[in-house]
Amino acid sequence: MSLYTKLAWRNIFRNKRRTYITGTAIAIGLAALIFLDALYIGMANNMIASATASFTGEGQIHGRGFLQTQDANKTVADLDGVAAGLKAEPLIKDFTVRTLSQGMVTSTANVNPVLLVGIEPETEKNLSQVDDVLVQGSYFAGDDPQNIVIGSRLAELLEVGLGDRVVLTVSQAGSGSLSQDLFRVSGIYHFNIQDLDGGLAFVRLKKAQAMLGLGNRVNEIALSFKDPRISRDENNPFWAKSSTGDNEAQGWTKLFPALKSIYDLTQVGTLIVGIILFAVVALGIINTLFMSIYERMFEFGVMRAVGTRPWGVRKLVVLEAGALALLSIVLGVGLGLAVTALVSRTGINYKGVEFAGVTIRSLIYPVLQVRQFILYPACVLLFTLLVGLYPAAYAARMSVTGAMKRTL
Amino acid sequence: MNTQDRHLIQTEGLTKIYEDNGVQVPALRGIDLDIRAGEFTAIVGPSGSGKTTLLNIISGLDKPTEGKVWLDGKLVSAMSGAELSDFRRDHIGFIFQAYNLIPVLKVEENIEYIMLLQKVAKGERHARVEEILREVDMEGFSHRFPSRLSGGQQQRVAIARAMVSRPLMILADEPTANLDSKTGADLLDMMRKLNEERGMTFVFSTHDRMIVEKARRIVIVRDGLVDSDTTRN
Repeated sequence: MSLYTKLAWRNIFRNKRRTYITGTAIAIGLAALIFLDALYIGMANNMIASATASFTGEGQIHGRGFLQTQDANKTVADLDGVAAGLKAEPLIKDFTVRTLSQGMVTSTANVNPVLLVGIEPETEKNLSQVDDVLVQGSYFAGDDPQNIVIGSRLAELLEVGLGDRVVLTVSQAGSGSLSQDLFRVSGIYHFNIQDLDGGLAFVRLKKAQAMLGLGNRVNEIALSFKDPRISRDENNPFWAKSSTGDNEAQGWTKLFPALKSIYDLTQVGTLIVGIILFAVVALGIINTLFMSIYERMFEFGVMRAVGTRPWGVRKLVVLEAGALALLSIVLGVGLGLAVTALVSRTGINYKGVEFAGVTIRSLIYPVLQVRQFILYPACVLLFTLLVGLYPAAYAARMSVTGAMKRTL
Repeated sequence: MNTQDRHLIQTEGLTKIYEDNGVQVPALRGIDLDIRAGEFTAIVGPSGSGKTTLLNIISGLDKPTEGKVWLDGKLVSAMSGAELSDFRRDHIGFIFQAYNLIPVLKVEENIEYIMLLQKVAKGERHARVEEILREVDMEGFSHRFPSRLSGGQQQRVAIARAMVSRPLMILADEPTANLDSKTGADLLDMMRKLNEERGMTFVFSTHDRMIVEKARRIVIVRDGLVDSDTTRN
C-alpha cells in the first residue's frame, strides 16, 4: 500500500462516528438510486405489458393511412404474403389478424358507439387477454357466428346480460352502406380499463368481414416478439422490412406515444433523482472533508513544511474521499441489493391505478440488473473523487505558516 | 572548502511587515545573518521579537517583504514552490515545539515519511530508521503510534524524523518548550552530541536558558533587529 493510500485509509477512521454517518448517508443515496432504477424498470415493464398484452400487442401492421383515418376500407395489403413472412420471421412469437370498424350497438334499453373488432378467437388468445378477463359466459365457445363478447361497462350502459340480444350497425367499407345484424351476448369481460370495457365489441372475423364487405381482407395484424425489447427498438430492421408497399408496421412506442414518453421519463427520472441525491451527498462529503481538513490544518502544515508538495496533499485528500466512497459503496450496494431483492419478491401494489392512459393491472416488481451494481457505484466513486477535488485544492493551497500558526 | 567555511544560511536586509486590519506591523526590520555549516546557533528573544518569523523565512515557509535569503548558496526567492518543497525535503530538518508527528503513522512510519517522499529504497530506509532509533534511544518503540508515547519520547521521534534524511541543517522552534527540564536537557545533550559527532547544523528559536547555555552562537533578536550576535569558544 502506498504512503498516501495508507495515510488516507487510516485518516478516515480518525473520527469513526463522522465517517460512519457520512458513509451511511452516501450508502443510503446509492441504495435509493439502485432501488429506484429497479422500480422504474419494473414499472415501465408493467405499464408496457398492461398496455400491449391487454389488447394492442407489442406491434401492429396496418394498411397505410388506416391509423389516421380509421377507414375500414384501408386494409393490410398482400395479407397472405405478409402472414407468410411473419410465420417465417424468427423474431415473431405470435400474430393475429383483425378487422376494425366504428359502429353502433343497440339494445332494447340503450344505444352506444363501439369499435367493432373482428377476430380469430384461437390466434387472438395469444395476443390479447380478453379470454383471461372473462367474468361471465364463454369466449367464443362453439361456432355460432352471432356470438358477441362485450365489456362489463358496455353491458352496463346497454343494460344487457349474458344471452341478451343486441343489434350491431356498421357502415360497409367502400360503399358506406349501412349493415346491421343481430347478435347474442355470449361473454362479458372486465379489464378494469374504461376504454376497453366500454368501447369494444368482439365478433368472429368472418362475420365482421361479411358485415363490412371486406371479403378476406383485414385492417390490422397484431403481433408479439420473442424478445419484448425489440418492440421498443424503433431502429430494428423488422419495422422497415414490414413497412413495404402499402403497409406500415409500428411498435408500441409509436402506437402509444404517451406511454413512450412515460418510458423515456422514467429514464430521465432516474437521472434527476440521481442528480438530487448526488448533490445532497456531495454537500455531505464536502462538509466531512472540510471538517477533517480544519481539524488537521496543523498536520497539513507540518507535511508541507517537511517537503510534501502541494500535489501530495491534494492526492491525500482525494484518496480520503475515495476511501470514504469505497466504504459507502460496500454498504450502499449491500443495502440496495437487500431492499430491492426483497421488494422484487413481494412486489408493490398499484393495481387499478391509471397512469398515462394505462391501468396497472398487476403488482410492480422492481427489476435487478447487473448494470445497477456497476454503473451507480462507479458514479458514486467518480463523483466522490470529483467532489473531493475542491477540499483537496483548498488543503493544497493553504499557506504553510498560516496552517502552522504559533510554530515555525 | 572546509565544512566550517560553507555558508549554509545567509540573509541580507530581511524585512517582514504584516498587515493587521490595515495597520502595518513590522516583524523583521532588516536582518543580516550568516550561519555556517556545523554551527549550533540559538536565536533568542522575547515573544514577538521576530525569531519565529525569521525561521519561517529562512526555511522558505514564508516570504520576506524585502531582502534576500540564500540556503547553501541558492537564492530562495528564485526557487519555485515545488523546488522549495524539494529543498526543504532534502536539506532541512524541522523540529517543532508540539512534536507534530503524524498521529496515524507509527513511529517507524513517521521517521520513514520524508525518505518515502525522497523515494529512498526500502532496505536503506529500514536500515536508517533502525540506526536513528538507536541514536535517539527509542529502540523498541518503532511499532507504536505517537499517542502511546510520552512528550519526551515524541520529541525524540521528531528529532529522528528531522535527522534521518541527513539534511544540511536542522531548524528547531522551541523544541524543549513542552518538555520538563530533565527531558529537555537530555534531548539537548543528544542534539549537541549529533552536532559534534556529525557536524550537523542546528538553528534554534528559543528563550529556553538551557539552550542558550549550550549554544555556541547566540543571536539575540529584539524588535525585528539583531541586537547582538555572540560566538563562544
